[in-house]
Amino acid sequence: MTDVDDGIDTALRDRLIVATLAHTPFDGWSQAALRAGARDIDIAEDVAQAAFPHGTRDMIRHFSRWADRCMVAGLEAADLEDMRIRERVAIAVELRLEALEPHKEAVRRGLSWLAMPQNAVLGARLLYRTVDDIWYAVGDRSADFSFYTKRGLLAGVVGSTTLFWLDDDSEGGTETSDFLDRRIADVMRISSVRRRTEDLKMKTPNPLRILRDVARKRYGGQALRGGSHSG
Amino acid sequence: MTVRKRLTEHGILPGDIPTGQMLERIVRVDHAGEYGAVRIYKGQLSVLGNSPVGDTIREMAEQEREHLETFDNLIAERRVRPTALMPVWHVAGYALGAATAMMGERAAMACTAAIEEVIDDHYAQQAALLGDDEAELRDTIEKFREDELEHRDTALEHDAELAPGYEILSTAIKKGSRLAIWLSQRV
Repeated sequence: MTDVDDGIDTALRDRLIVATLAHTPFDGWSQAALRAGARDIDIAEDVAQAAFPHGTRDMIRHFSRWADRCMVAGLEAADLEDMRIRERVAIAVELRLEALEPHKEAVRRGLSWLAMPQNAVLGARLLYRTVDDIWYAVGDRSADFSFYTKRGLLAGVVGSTTLFWLDDDSEGGTETSDFLDRRIADVMRISSVRRRTEDLKMKTPNPLRILRDVARKRYGGQALRGGSHSG
Repeated sequence: MTVRKRLTEHGILPGDIPTGQMLERIVRVDHAGEYGAVRIYKGQLSVLGNSPVGDTIREMAEQEREHLETFDNLIAERRVRPTALMPVWHVAGYALGAATAMMGERAAMACTAAIEEVIDDHYAQQAALLGDDEAELRDTIEKFREDELEHRDTALEHDAELAPGYEILSTAIKKGSRLAIWLSQRV
């Protein structure tokens, strides 16, 4: 899942997207908006089109990745050392929304485009990239199945918080911050439930242990002399 | 005359998957494989832990744990997602180890020999795919391959081939391991 490298500079694409953002409230994520944006920063039309050969699809993808990169840069600048993971994650989500704050209309239009069934796969991919970047940036390096549960849970948090944020008119986005805190608290509740079920699991009979006892009988003396087994 | 470096991408033909994706697959499947190996030995030890071969198995298990640690780090460093089948290998590996161990020490060794033989092939193929730009990964794989070969030889020394139904058992386990490799590369 690496970004495509076709010789066109990411910085150029970034400039084009930022310039296009000024036009998306009027023209949507269209060629017209891209052309107008390119004109604003004196870039030839064909260069702009070559930078986003698939039009809307490429522009929205780059916009999302641009926001992710802003977030990662913000996190690198922030001092995360003494923070707990949940605080780091909250800051990451807020940093991303901060980068998007001046472009709410563009995000709204982008999300409605991604909501169309034929674009749902790209939407899911972009959301995955976002949560993957967040977990990596906050220092998570898990290589077991929690890799997936972490990303799945965070995808729910990021998705719902972004939708809430779209309609949040409160001063400084305080309501979004509260909403985000509540969502993260929900997720934390899941892990405490899991811990409880795991305690329960320890107390139920384990078929493998029964198998082991059978094996112990088979190796009778040796096994018993050796005391308890590992594993 | 300058010596041209052989890059990984030089081995890619039209129709093959791109280099980046291939490297991701290599790291993913090897991580899954070492994880499976750790689980298999754990399953064997749960039955044979106190038998005469216990220490031999423990030694091999320790090496697999080191391999797994290396690939845990590679997964994180290279930002490759681990296979989504981890829970399956968690159970299947342990079950395979425990089941063959219950069939006896020789069957357990036959299981080890069969798997390590598949892994040897698999690592050799991967090492051949990697060019000089991935020398570090290639060396890691080569080193692990030697360890796995040693495990196979150890298993053969412990009369793996005298296990009842050796041919059938060995063929079945090899088929299963190849399927596991195919799946872990992709899922």
